[in-house]
Amino acid sequence: MYFLTDEERKHLLKGLLPRSRDQGVADELRGWNWSQPPLSPVYDMPLAIYEVAGAYCPTNRDLYLRRVERVRPKPSPAMARGSALHAALVHVLVAAKRLIYAHGVDNYQEIFRSLQELVPLSIEPYTRDLAPTEAESLRQKALIIHDFERARIIARIQEILTKHPYIGEDSLVSLALPVVVEQKLDGSFLGLSANLSTDAFTFCEPMILDLKFGEPRKFHRLQTTGYALVMEAIYEFPVNLGCLVYAEFRGNRLIIKKDLHVIDDELRQWFIEARDEKARMIYEEIDPGVAEECHPACYCYQVCHR
Amino acid sequence: MTLKVGDIKQYLYCPRIIYYTYVAPVDRKVTPKMVYGKEEHIEFERLERRRTLRAYRLAEGERRFRTPLESPRLGLRGVLDMHVVTSLGCLPVEVKYTASRPGLNHKYQLVAYAMLLEDAYGKPVRHGYLYLIPSKNVYVVEITPNARAFVRRMLLQIADLIRRETFPPATRRAGRCVDCEYRRFCGDVV
Repeated sequence: MYFLTDEERKHLLKGLLPRSRDQGVADELRGWNWSQPPLSPVYDMPLAIYEVAGAYCPTNRDLYLRRVERVRPKPSPAMARGSALHAALVHVLVAAKRLIYAHGVDNYQEIFRSLQELVPLSIEPYTRDLAPTEAESLRQKALIIHDFERARIIARIQEILTKHPYIGEDSLVSLALPVVVEQKLDGSFLGLSANLSTDAFTFCEPMILDLKFGEPRKFHRLQTTGYALVMEAIYEFPVNLGCLVYAEFRGNRLIIKKDLHVIDDELRQWFIEARDEKARMIYEEIDPGVAEECHPACYCYQVCHR
Repeated sequence: MTLKVGDIKQYLYCPRIIYYTYVAPVDRKVTPKMVYGKEEHIEFERLERRRTLRAYRLAEGERRFRTPLESPRLGLRGVLDMHVVTSLGCLPVEVKYTASRPGLNHKYQLVAYAMLLEDAYGKPVRHGYLYLIPSKNVYVVEITPNARAFVRRMLLQIADLIRRETFPPATRRAGRCVDCEYRRFCGDVV
């Protein structure tokens, strides 16, 4: 799901990449300047990226309840679904890498056979609080992702093998599966959690990928922005691009749309503003109040409207 | 209420300048830097009239200087240093007297002028230029949808500050306070 189509690659190489290089980013908004304002954190209140980037609640009261009032509402079905489908995807990608290393290039047929026989991830831990019909539907969706990703990986490995007769295992992994999934990052330089984890990261041209199973929202881009800033702070190289991968199920079909974007000055400033505002809210224990229009599917709905 | 393009620059530099301008107006001391900057702008205009448009990578176009622009739709007005009218559209040029690279406050001032030019000419503006007098360097700035949205959001924030009459926190960059003309009115900056 993280691999780009030919059109997306063209859009990236001919459109976004040159533009991101021409446009540039103000140096004060590069992650490596984390020790100076505006990037240096004002409050000693580490936040997760999803806490800074999330704006599903119009007043951010969900964050206040969780961090100040220590309320722990049950995850919503949408959250459980997202976690399960993420895990199903990671399972296939990591298993494919493991099989390449285990069998080696010479036994490539064994890699394909093992991949074909790969058992889908058990999603039972994610379905405990779901109704039986919801759980079954989730199982089906996880299976669709599993099958889709497995087929794509096999095709990619085959393509690379036909092109490079002298390739080794490590290079095959890097060319066929050029993503690091669940990359762990320490965001403490920027006043963020020390245990961050980005969905995926491509290293050819540094790009942060984030997988979503819900409706596209403008603030989703803050998620890639946050990880880009953290990566810049840790590794001191520019990360200019982000990609939101929106997966949607239409019956038994998986539809994937990608939002490739430049992580520009404006997104960086928006992220920093959100970080400072939310850290202040928690640090000063300011209850932002119940929003005028709450989403009924919000996992804090029962707490706010009891 | 109509804001000035310069307010965007000032707000980004330090939001307290907006407070001292609109909420609790104070007598601003004209610094030698401001006088010098004004003289340099006049000199720029004189020289610019004789130059080609090569610095802007343009083959043809007509320069227009100190154009007053106003948009009731945006609630914004300002006087643009220069803009170039070409057959493909018009391009704003904002002149700055600074030895360092252009700052974000300069960028968004230019974006605001681009938005005003769009209203004045009824044509989209794709990019503009920041001309730095000391180095004679020209920086091309793309007018992106995100940059436009950022300017709109900033205008709302400035209007909100004025409406609420809240005294905002000072800029976190202490270096800016050193030669600020409003410094003596802030009791809490070093």
